[in-house]
Amino acid sequence: MLGVLLAMVACGRASTTSKAQGPATEAPALAAVTADQVLQKVREPGAKAVVINVWATWCTPCREEFPDLMQLRREYERRGLRLVLVSADFPDQTEEARRFLTQQGVDFPTFLKTGKDMEFINGLDERWSGALPATFVYDARGALRSFREGRTTHAVMESLVVAAMTPQ
Amino acid sequence: MRVSSLLACAALAMTLTSAALAADEAPTLGISIGDPAPMATVKMKNVNGKETSIAEARKAKGTLVVFSCNACPYAKAWESRIVELGNASLKRGVGVIVINSNDPDVNVQDGYDVMKERAKQRKMQYPYVVDATSEVARAFGATRTPEAFLFGADGKLVYHGAIDDNAHEPDKVEARYLQDAVDAVVAGKTVANQETKALGCSIKFRTRS
Repeated sequence: MLGVLLAMVACGRASTTSKAQGPATEAPALAAVTADQVLQKVREPGAKAVVINVWATWCTPCREEFPDLMQLRREYERRGLRLVLVSADFPDQTEEARRFLTQQGVDFPTFLKTGKDMEFINGLDERWSGALPATFVYDARGALRSFREGRTTHAVMESLVVAAMTPQ
Repeated sequence: MRVSSLLACAALAMTLTSAALAADEAPTLGISIGDPAPMATVKMKNVNGKETSIAEARKAKGTLVVFSCNACPYAKAWESRIVELGNASLKRGVGVIVINSNDPDVNVQDGYDVMKERAKQRKMQYPYVVDATSEVARAFGATRTPEAFLFGADGKLVYHGAIDDNAHEPDKVEARYLQDAVDAVVAGKTVANQETKALGCSIKFRTRS
């Protein structure tokens, strides 16, 4: 019941602080990362929850859910949410990825998956089939609290983040 | 905050655990190594206008089932390799069927007419069929395109996964997973690497009515 109350309080705060954001400056260059390097971002101190989203410009459900991810970041960043975006675009598609990130108002560092697919997939979670998008939610201790393949709605993402921020 | 929004958040919080578990369980559904092909007798429309099934595609040494599509960049990147391997496998006694389970309402490029064009252009000698309900993909536990399932002569799954280890750069492929699996099946040997993975587009499942 405590979790429910905390979630309701968090949702309430989110709804009152949510606001639209205008076009961003040009998105920073994407830094190449392995799965280990992504997990280092999870373990960096200071976050109460970390969302890793693996996406690609050619992935329609990735593009569809992207505005929801950005909205979630705007709503929860001050309360400790860290959003780690990892593009799975091919190396020769990085400019297209940057254009998309700029359109979406991304003005913070994001990443580009590098190395063999299977090492990257299993490095993040062996349950992940490799389908995109993939979203992983970690708590403040760096423990994986939830994992989803395919498009996720803002409501579900919010509930998973609130749960990760709620002490077990 | 509106009451309806508050109730929605409360409902979400209360269903949180089950929602997360459902998502976590999704990739593990479907078939495993040693299982037979599900829904093997279900008829699917081929690009030649006739209906066929996995059972009809089966040959003496094995059966290769690939979930693929027209639009996904990963499927496109691997397409020529899939066609080359598929056509060669037929000649070696391994049946082949490629299944498109994507909902063309999500991407018109996954429509039947585009499939027909693609099969003709690429000179596919095997059936390229429409999984009109996406239920075949669901039964297999397929989640992405392309995703390969190879069954041995006894009809049991011996390989599941990717085509090879480099979709984007064919000249830099180091491990030909599916080719090696087909070679093993043809030779009557055990497949050494039975499960592999690659990134890919999620299958655009049709909504269940």
